[in-house]
Amino acid sequence: MDTNSSSPRRVAVVNSAQTVLTPAWTDRQHIDLISDAVTRALKGTGLRIDDVDFVIDSGSDFLDGRSISNCGFLGAMGAHHKEESRIEEDGLWALNYATNKIASGSSSVGLVIAYSKPSESNVDAYWTALIEPFLQRPVGLDQFVAAGLTAQQYLSAAGLSADDLKLVSERAWENASRNPSVDTSAYPFDAAFWGDDVASPLRSSDMARPVDGAVAVLVAREEVANQVAKRPVWITGSGSAIDQHFMAAREATTLPACEAAARTAYRMSGTTAKDYDLIEVSGRSTVGELMVLEALGQAETYKAIDHYRGKTKKSINLSGGAIPADPIMATGLVRLHEAASRLAGRGYEETDARRALVHGTGGFEMQNHCVVTMEVDQ
Amino acid sequence: MSIAIVGTGQTFHARRRTDVSQAGLAREAVNEALADAGMTMDDIDSIVVATGPVMFAAVNQPEKWLADALGARYKPVVRVTSGGGTGLAGALAAINQIKGGAAKRVLVVAYDKLSEGALQASISTLYDPFWGREFAVGIMGFAAAYWHGRMKRLGHTEEAAALVAVKNRHNAMLNPKAHVKREVTVEEVMASRPLCWPIKILDVPPISDGACAVILAEGSDALAITDRPAWIHGMAYYCEADNGPDRSMLQSEPLQIAATKVYKEAGITNPFRQFDVAELQEPYTCFELSYYEGLGLCPEGGAAELIMSGATSMTGELPVNPSGGCMGANPIGATALIRLAEAAMQVTGKAGAHQVAGAERALVQAGGGWANLRGVAVLGAERR
Repeated sequence: MDTNSSSPRRVAVVNSAQTVLTPAWTDRQHIDLISDAVTRALKGTGLRIDDVDFVIDSGSDFLDGRSISNCGFLGAMGAHHKEESRIEEDGLWALNYATNKIASGSSSVGLVIAYSKPSESNVDAYWTALIEPFLQRPVGLDQFVAAGLTAQQYLSAAGLSADDLKLVSERAWENASRNPSVDTSAYPFDAAFWGDDVASPLRSSDMARPVDGAVAVLVAREEVANQVAKRPVWITGSGSAIDQHFMAAREATTLPACEAAARTAYRMSGTTAKDYDLIEVSGRSTVGELMVLEALGQAETYKAIDHYRGKTKKSINLSGGAIPADPIMATGLVRLHEAASRLAGRGYEETDARRALVHGTGGFEMQNHCVVTMEVDQ
Repeated sequence: MSIAIVGTGQTFHARRRTDVSQAGLAREAVNEALADAGMTMDDIDSIVVATGPVMFAAVNQPEKWLADALGARYKPVVRVTSGGGTGLAGALAAINQIKGGAAKRVLVVAYDKLSEGALQASISTLYDPFWGREFAVGIMGFAAAYWHGRMKRLGHTEEAAALVAVKNRHNAMLNPKAHVKREVTVEEVMASRPLCWPIKILDVPPISDGACAVILAEGSDALAITDRPAWIHGMAYYCEADNGPDRSMLQSEPLQIAATKVYKEAGITNPFRQFDVAELQEPYTCFELSYYEGLGLCPEGGAAELIMSGATSMTGELPVNPSGGCMGANPIGATALIRLAEAAMQVTGKAGAHQVAGAERALVQAGGGWANLRGVAVLGAERR
């Protein structure tokens, strides 16, 4: 191995692209969604697929109904005869792998891909199969029950009611309706969506909506990034941390694993929570979104709701976040794509922000967390 | 930056480990690796879990379940999955974490508990749901077609493959962790029941429950941890896409690409002479023959002659699979990391009864998917 490399090299997002996120891409296969995102991520950069050294991808065998499902999509990913690895976790972890690989000096250009087609799978079974089979599955724990249990405790501790959560869900859907990459044509106005419990105190509107889609992010070392990107988005820090598997062993109303991931990312980038106004987080529910913001230090404990009461200067989930569009396994990488697009001035809306904070989650009831910090030069 | 393996551990492999859960199985290997390195989980910055496909044992993303048993709370945990080669892909992810500055000491744990699922049915779902599943039953038909092609064009005879079974099962006799300890003769292999001709039952490794753990660290740190690190001289993992008609049935292209890259990094120009020992992941006997050629241990078409010469036996010039390889134990998701761990044991002189005397440089090969994901690593006793 090379013996003369010194400190880690700078890594940048040079471009990124996603398909529209929609409840069901009935006329597209996985490979169509993937190749669409990949093709558009390369477009305009001057880089061709032959310039890409490696591919790291995220997807779920379970959702795909295929073992080692990456094998079936290597062609669409442009991975043929390249180094490739599958991270079976949200795409933000795949981005971490790619960042490490370039920072180490062993590669120059990498492609990070995440995709999901939950419309072809049983999403409830996906979540239930995440929990160990001996103690938690037999009692009927599922994604809704788990989110409901957490929400009950959180609302009680924070002195909030179920109706307060509407501030979060309505903001999410409102933001998503301005996002050309989220299909909100089925925007649900009916009273049942907003009012009926699915897991008391949570309603359908409080839960992330599974959608189909793919996202591709092109990352490169500094010298390449400066050549091919008008405004490279530097990846300045990243951290990840997992919590206990058994829900009863976790903290009831806070996310210390998310705090740990954020601490690492802030330390690596030499920044603090205050330095970030542009924030994209992945909440599996409205309460999850609030808890994440608190864990990231973007609000005092139990006070994240204030950001939704019109008292905030922070731009939180301008894309809509994960509530209106949760392409399971790709959600965090979509957050990164949304934030990077804005920072680079290629998004559908302009921003003054120079830094962005991105969060992704994985596992049952948000057991695992990943945080990435990014910035553009003045 | 130099990187080394500072600790390895393995479970006892068996057809059914009913005494432990998946989490307990992983923990058993991790305990042994930590003890080998003289470390505790407090010393570990990051954990990479590698397993076979989740459908093998019906728990989705099982690293989440393992977190408690491993003592991983609040640490980074990520799972790499790449079929049979996943352990090596996991080790490569760990190396990138260290080289990229994200971690100093990384624990890689790989396992499969194959007694808990329907193996060949799960493997069958590798194939395209529209174009592949009607004729692809498990992995065996596919592997048999490969072998048949090589038999005709490269002379990989049934007798030559049988010698792989004889050699590896013989070697497994001295491996305390091996699951299958029963010697066979060429005649017995040849006369054994055909499963998918030319693959016969004694060409096939067992199905095992088992786990392996490896701890990697940066160079100076590695020397502070142990006076006998196994240095990584190179490692790579390449793929080829799924367009079947374009693929050569004779040589594995991603294997050749990976070997070329790693040999260059490691300064290998004459692999047969420069390696003292090799650990190759042979899902069927015929694959070991194919890897001899793909790894450049002999010329194309020379594999049968190489095995028949005895050069790859324990007493030969380049012993291959002193551990017994997959024939000794085959917990699929762990097998690649077992090859790496065994190679590390060899170059650090810790392999015990199956130690190759004076081994200083080891070759490791692993692979997965439908034979389209291939990894190679070189380990050495000397820092590089």
